[in-house]
Amino acid sequence: MTMDYLEKYRDGRVNTAKTLWVMKPIYLILRLFNKTVVHRPVTILYPYEKLWMPDNYRGRPALAFNTCIGCGMCARMCPTTAIVLVECPDDEGKPVKRPQVNMGRCSFCGYCAEYCPTDAMTMSPIVELAEYTRADLIYGPRRLAYDHTTDGMKIDIEETLLSDYQAGNGERRINPAKTDRPVLDNAKCISCKKCFKSCPVQAITMEEHGKNAKGRPILWPSVDDQKCVSCYTCVDVCPKSALHMNEVL
Amino acid sequence: MVYSSILDWVNFPDIMANPYYPFETYNLPYDISQKLWEIIGGTIAWLINLLFPGNPVSEWLVCDMTVNFFALIIFMIVVFLVVFIGILISLWEERKVLGRTMDRRGTMVGMKGFLQCVADGFKTFMKEDTQPRKVDRMTYMWTVSLVIGTSMLIACMIPLSDRWYVVNYNTGLLLIMGLFALAPFFILVSGWSQNNKYSLIGGMRAAEMMISYEIPMLILIATACLMAGTFNIGGIVQAQYDTMPYFIPQCIGFVTFFVCANAEAERTPFDLAEAESELVEGWQTEYAGMKWGLIMLADYMRGYVSCAMITILYLGGWNLPFIGDLNNYVPELVFLLKTWLVFFAMIIVRAALPRVRTDQILNLGWKVFMPLSIINLVIVLLLKMGGVF
Repeated sequence: MTMDYLEKYRDGRVNTAKTLWVMKPIYLILRLFNKTVVHRPVTILYPYEKLWMPDNYRGRPALAFNTCIGCGMCARMCPTTAIVLVECPDDEGKPVKRPQVNMGRCSFCGYCAEYCPTDAMTMSPIVELAEYTRADLIYGPRRLAYDHTTDGMKIDIEETLLSDYQAGNGERRINPAKTDRPVLDNAKCISCKKCFKSCPVQAITMEEHGKNAKGRPILWPSVDDQKCVSCYTCVDVCPKSALHMNEVL
Repeated sequence: MVYSSILDWVNFPDIMANPYYPFETYNLPYDISQKLWEIIGGTIAWLINLLFPGNPVSEWLVCDMTVNFFALIIFMIVVFLVVFIGILISLWEERKVLGRTMDRRGTMVGMKGFLQCVADGFKTFMKEDTQPRKVDRMTYMWTVSLVIGTSMLIACMIPLSDRWYVVNYNTGLLLIMGLFALAPFFILVSGWSQNNKYSLIGGMRAAEMMISYEIPMLILIATACLMAGTFNIGGIVQAQYDTMPYFIPQCIGFVTFFVCANAEAERTPFDLAEAESELVEGWQTEYAGMKWGLIMLADYMRGYVSCAMITILYLGGWNLPFIGDLNNYVPELVFLLKTWLVFFAMIIVRAALPRVRTDQILNLGWKVFMPLSIINLVIVLLLKMGGVF
């Protein structure tokens, strides 16, 4: 009678020595119990305790107000157009342009932080963004501040250029797009100085190249390579599309 | 009439000197209750005596018979409260240990999660008490009352030491086991009365399960009593203290009894009657609100009684070996700690093993536990005949 019941253990369908019958799960549970008593369980008490987050965690964008130069690169690169440049007073009361982020549209891709030429825009580890209205989700430049920015949050773009790749050189360059420079099509320029006025880093100087038929000076912008941050502002403001960006490819 | 001090009314006489003392030996909870009544009743008597000096009511409140009567009422409350808190602690233990075995934390509400029981109690108490229209009212209510009532009764009847008991007579163990085995009948009738297929299947399973584990379990109890030579719980514990805890000579019986006790308490892996992943809530499906809460409490009471039976029969009850007279200090606490230790083992089994099928529990009961309990009985008989015990 008992042997009938134990038949499956005898004919090899169930290897008792290998499975240890009920003792194996009990042993496993005791081992897990021991582990979770000595250390702590994997779950955490969320609102009171929080998980450690790495520096490159992509929470909401954060802005260092005084490091920002207002070039608008973030607004230009934002794939969801969550960022717009707004005018606001800086610490001395002068009006400056700074980004404003709509968290309702932000997709937390981190392009703004990657393309920021001065690393003023970073991704902070803050993820608790719930608000009562959509209007509250719009973060102004001052509200974007984050005090604990570390060096690890400042991201650079590392990429291999296509030309390098075709030449058999797999070198990963850091921020190659920052060596893009605006190039002037001389015939289109009307010497309006808009590029000179709008350059956020004062990299453009207007140089005189003779006089025109009316006797006015012909002024062509020249770009200081050391100062230029490749921000496209001059290209965007040019009324005659005389400037274009010479991209590093 | 002169002013009488409160100390004239509150005095703590020897409880054994009371001619109406209901027990034969010293009883600690009764002692506590009598002293409590001395304080309460004595104060009331003193206050009445201040207003109406020399009245007979004050005398009546502190006379021997009245003290005995009110002490018995407080005695019930004291015994129940201790058992109740012990059960709540085992409930808390289950939640915490189960949490740790699942790599989570368990309950976290107040006092390391202990107050979650209180919150749950309030929650079930506040719930609407619904009742299906087509149930058989009488059996529906009576069976659940009897399940809860018998569970509570046996939980209170488990003695915590030789001075903490409710009844102390020579067939105490049989009485407890008889009441303990009643629940499956009520579950069967209750499942039938609810007019619900889940409940009916749950009730049938309870009956089916009972015929498979009950007999080996009773044989094992009889074996332990045979070894001790008495059915008295105090006698069994004392016999183990004189020789050795019975889990050493009866190691087969100990393991078998542990599994059978698991089944008796209807805990996982033997919770066939209340298989919440197959039947909705088994035989408890149609019970709502506080009725369900009390059924859940009764489940834990039965778990506590199972653990207490194991402690009494195999682990030496409220005595610890090798420490001699130190056993006289807090035997109640030692007993409860041992019970919670056994309950810990039950929780680990619950966490580790899946629920058995009905045919598996029948096979286990009749083809494995039954021969094992007979083998255990034979071993005990040989030991007895060889004069070892």
